[in-house]
Amino acid sequence: MEIQKLIEAAASEHVLGLSWSHDGARLAVTPSEGPILVLDRDGKIAAELPDHGLGNGAAVFHPFEPKLATCGTDGRIRLYENLCAPPRPPREITLGKGWLERLAWSLDGAHLATALGRRLLILDEAGEITHEFDAHKSSVCDFAWNPRQPEEIASVADGGATMWRLGEEAPFARFDWGGASLLACWSPDGRWLVTGDQTPSVHLYDFTRDYPLHIQGYETKVKALAFNSASRKLATGGGRLVTVWNCTGKTGPEGTIPKQLEGHTGDSVALAYRRGSDWLASGGTDGRLIVFEPESSTRPRASLALDAGVTCVAWHPSEPLLAAGTESGAVELVAVT
Amino acid sequence: MTKVPVTILTGFLGAGKTTLLNRILTEQHGQRIAVIENEFGEIGIDHELVVQTDEEIFEMNNGCICCTVRGDLIRILGRLMKRKDKFDRVLVETTGLADPGPVVQTFFMDDDMKEQFFVDAIVTVVDAKHILLHLDDSDEALEQVAFADVLLLNKCDLVDTAALDTLERRLRGINALAKIYRTTNSDIALDKVLHVGGFNLDHAMELDPQFLEVEETPEPDHHDHECTEECDHEHGHHHHHHHDESVGSVGIEAEGDVDGRKLNAWLSELVRTQGQDIFRTKGVFAIAGNPDRIIFQGVHMLIDGANGGPWGDRKRVNKLVFIGRHLDRAALNAGFRGCLV
Repeated sequence: MEIQKLIEAAASEHVLGLSWSHDGARLAVTPSEGPILVLDRDGKIAAELPDHGLGNGAAVFHPFEPKLATCGTDGRIRLYENLCAPPRPPREITLGKGWLERLAWSLDGAHLATALGRRLLILDEAGEITHEFDAHKSSVCDFAWNPRQPEEIASVADGGATMWRLGEEAPFARFDWGGASLLACWSPDGRWLVTGDQTPSVHLYDFTRDYPLHIQGYETKVKALAFNSASRKLATGGGRLVTVWNCTGKTGPEGTIPKQLEGHTGDSVALAYRRGSDWLASGGTDGRLIVFEPESSTRPRASLALDAGVTCVAWHPSEPLLAAGTESGAVELVAVT
Repeated sequence: MTKVPVTILTGFLGAGKTTLLNRILTEQHGQRIAVIENEFGEIGIDHELVVQTDEEIFEMNNGCICCTVRGDLIRILGRLMKRKDKFDRVLVETTGLADPGPVVQTFFMDDDMKEQFFVDAIVTVVDAKHILLHLDDSDEALEQVAFADVLLLNKCDLVDTAALDTLERRLRGINALAKIYRTTNSDIALDKVLHVGGFNLDHAMELDPQFLEVEETPEPDHHDHECTEECDHEHGHHHHHHHDESVGSVGIEAEGDVDGRKLNAWLSELVRTQGQDIFRTKGVFAIAGNPDRIIFQGVHMLIDGANGGPWGDRKRVNKLVFIGRHLDRAALNAGFRGCLV
């Protein structure tokens, strides 16, 4: 396997996130501050979108249309229509005083979720708030839509996760533990909901058995979670080793020994499986962009040294192209062959 | 990576925290200061980086007080540190009712925070006119005094000198290590609150011997407190305000060498079993066979040590100070002296 550098673009600052449009024609780049960039497939800047004041939060493409939602510390969401054409002024929604750090479209594209302090807010495609879930004891750190049930969303705040269903005011399920959870991730088949925790651990909730698992023993806080598209493998990052758990069978990873992937000299902080394959991209604070094939080897299949720590990675939706953002604001587009 | 200093500003409501904060932000010190203030603050400064937040406690390990951290700080500071235009200092203002422990522990327990920040000092602003009432009624007020590196005895214009002297003795009984400054309108030279090095191990060697002279926590009958029939404490020769007498300082000074292994075992057991009650610890040790001073400091169960350089011609005198609740002076002394060779 080889990694070949194709294009390098420069954002203004530390890249917080990357999001491909549904057709792979555009890549949204969210720097921590300064204009949000929309790059075309060749890495050219197609649009520079205004920032969100003190800092940007996220920029996320709609799953089926060339629509982009952005948010930030100004408490605002902007919805851009048809970014494949010259962008028109966005619809701007002010949600209140507070930082908006995350956005997630539901898998059917009908709703957009964000969190403002202790409130999980759900907007429709027009930007109207349709649901507000506020029974959290502390700020909502992350949330994730159920990939199999587009009306269901999980939020993490405090320790564990809370399950919400659109149209119902109270949560329909809650998974509590005594600590604090920071990240949420679903397996694509909707069986597993995983949280990354403040303590060096992950919690997995098996919806087929209504059964919680707690996996400890990490050296560091788990900062990245990624399922492969078959929902069979869960990759977790945070330290120098990437740990891959087998989530098949009746009991999933319970009682199993994971694969530990070596190659980083710093912490692995960004993980993404390529759709339909075993290729796992990992970005580290050591500036290394690595592609693993965990089924066949625990060593890197290919790697590339970048000038600064890697902060985020995103596979192109259909082609073997990988985008990586760095702490210094660089965006690399590489071909993996 | 150069770590960013953090100043933690505590004090009861109305003590003068906001006045001090405004003074810090408006004075020409040339520093770019990020301020994390509690949600209900009223800072009217718009040229500085002021972020308002809820104080959110992350409890871990079954709620162990020594393992609690402030989730909001981790999130906000983590995000701010991703900016190119970084800042020179962070100032965390707590609410009047906050326990400073989780704020401090955030910068020791969370790997990302530890990597990027260090705690310079805990500065507690005390209302000289009303603090006695709070010390009698509030665990938080006691803890804010006990944790402090700097105590600003503020609103001194409202209290006479004799009462201030009494109050200062009372505060010194709770916290034998803090520097105490008397102020009006929180007016103080900023280097007294911004460049303290309260958690700097080098400064742990500068334990002032006069602090160690504090033998007993002052009895509560020093209070500016007029007893009435409504008082629920015992009247008589000794007053027993249960809040007050439980928090204090114990200083130990002993010439000679200690057995390093015994000392390590004793300290480890001490913080393991009593860490929840020990707020701060500082010490300098002469370890047998080691020509260098070993310096030490701790917050609850978190302890940190380093080599402090050679003793040289100085007398090998061990110094150790505990600040905490329910400290058993005799047991601590006996425990430490049991480590002497």
